[in-house]
Amino acid sequence: MTTMTIAADAFQPPAASAPVKIEVRNLDFFYGAFRALKNINLSLEQNRVTAFIGPSGCGKSTLLRILNRMYDLYPGQRAEGEVLLDGANILDPGVDVNLLRARVGMVFQKPTPFPMTIYDNIAFGIKLYEKLSKSEIDGRVEAALKGAALWNEVKDKLNASGLSLSGGQQQRLCIARTVAIRPDVILFDEPCSALDPISTAKVEELIDELKAQYTIAIVTHNMQQAARVSDNTAFMYLGDLVEFGETSQMFTTPTQKATQDYITGRFG
Amino acid sequence: MDQPSKGAGVSGADVSDIAIEANAAAKAPVADRAQALKQFALSDKTFYWLTRASAICVLLLLGGIILSLIVGAWPAIQHFGLSFLTTQRWAPQLEPAPILGGLGPIYGTFVSSLIAMLIAVPVGLGIAIFLTELCPMWLRRPFGVAIELLAGIPSIIYGMWGFFVLAPFLADHVQPWIIAATSGIPVLGSIFGGPPSYLSLFNASVVLAIMILPFITAISRDVFMTVPPVLKESAYGLGCTTWEVVRNVVIPYTRVGVIGGVMLALGRALGETMAVTFIIGNSFRIQDSIFSPGTTISAAIASEFAESGGLHQSALFLLGLLLFVLTFFVLAAARLMLMRLERAKGA
Repeated sequence: MTTMTIAADAFQPPAASAPVKIEVRNLDFFYGAFRALKNINLSLEQNRVTAFIGPSGCGKSTLLRILNRMYDLYPGQRAEGEVLLDGANILDPGVDVNLLRARVGMVFQKPTPFPMTIYDNIAFGIKLYEKLSKSEIDGRVEAALKGAALWNEVKDKLNASGLSLSGGQQQRLCIARTVAIRPDVILFDEPCSALDPISTAKVEELIDELKAQYTIAIVTHNMQQAARVSDNTAFMYLGDLVEFGETSQMFTTPTQKATQDYITGRFG
Repeated sequence: MDQPSKGAGVSGADVSDIAIEANAAAKAPVADRAQALKQFALSDKTFYWLTRASAICVLLLLGGIILSLIVGAWPAIQHFGLSFLTTQRWAPQLEPAPILGGLGPIYGTFVSSLIAMLIAVPVGLGIAIFLTELCPMWLRRPFGVAIELLAGIPSIIYGMWGFFVLAPFLADHVQPWIIAATSGIPVLGSIFGGPPSYLSLFNASVVLAIMILPFITAISRDVFMTVPPVLKESAYGLGCTTWEVVRNVVIPYTRVGVIGGVMLALGRALGETMAVTFIIGNSFRIQDSIFSPGTTISAAIASEFAESGGLHQSALFLLGLLLFVLTFFVLAAARLMLMRLERAKGA
């Protein structure tokens, strides 16, 4: 979707206009016998940022990790219900999780550059899926780094180790790495919790730019961040989805008492 | 002195008395403290010298071992010179003077360790990867413990098992198959040529491989477990398969530790004595086929030292010195390689 159409849609309520990218239906999640998510129903709209907020342990990161089936890596964790990505249920046992994760990228709480050069950190993911010439890969690496607003800072040291960058730069490197494989959806799991305020501002700015091309979900503990970057917000508490709606409405006139208490800092 | 003892109704003399008493009371602990500190200083010094003496002891021992090896080997060095390294013939009973050359054992040491590493490194890394990345949780512990037990088996038992079980099995079933498969092929045909043999370089190498396998596995498993889960998750998050995560994230991240484990295993393979002596055949002649008998430095020393004397014994000392130097260079090379890798990584 281009910015033009978003502008044209501005007269209508945005929730009605954006197509649904991911739809979660009757989702339950279990860590062994513990039921961490209880009957979650919500949808992520295309080219919008959806924020998940709530106190620690409420299940927001768990929900995020279901969207690319990261929980599959650990025995004893299972999801029940449906998660439809473009209409297809990704919880089906037959789904190729590697392809799914290429479509649904993830950026983690701590920057996790791979133990290789800056260039290879980006090129690595591209080479997994596409057979490209050296110059095409160069172009993709440059585009990804520009997309993550990191190009100007690293263009002269692409062969330096990814670990030599500062924390904020590392996090943007991880975003560039995710963007480079051209996913449909990007999941951010508290992407700024290890960053200083300036780096945080840069990452938030980036998220705002990225939503023109991607569908974005972000877990955050920072209420102001949720208010700043997201279009829709989901408030979760003890495994329940308490309230889900437009961010502007949620932060001004929440319908639930618990939501109001949480966003005004009365608990959490 | 600002003592808080100036109460109403107490005369001036009383006040000064109290002040003096308080002063003395305050001084006593200070003196005690100084005394105690003096004792601490003494025990500190004692401790310093004890630890220092222990550290020096290690250096003295190392120096002493090298020195006694050189002294023991000196007659052989003088008599044979550098030709010891190039002579294959080993004839200690020859009259008037024995002819002794170390080429056979040196060759055997290198080749048996090389074959053992070729077998054990891929298998050991494979087991470690399976244990850390793929194995079901309930199987991990028993599997890991079994590997560690394998490391604890005394080498004489490996030797007996190799002699009575493994070597006959290899000679009867594995060697004929390899010989048939490679016969006629120019180089491979002669490496794997000749009749199958119970006592051979190849059989000893296989036993060596089994012996060093637990070292490689245990160390690589431990270092693989140091990879942060979130780093692996981010690779999985790009859509990597388990193999791609291991190949591109786990192994590069743990490279230094893995190489360390491999070098430790190589050190053990070079010096392993008992198991090898049992099944290598103790032949000083170098033959093309690895299915024929050979010997290693440590096997030669172990099997001949008791009946040796004079120049013969000195030659065995020289072999020991060579093994010492060889092991030293292997470790030094490993260190150098690691340093260069670190620098190339640019971290």
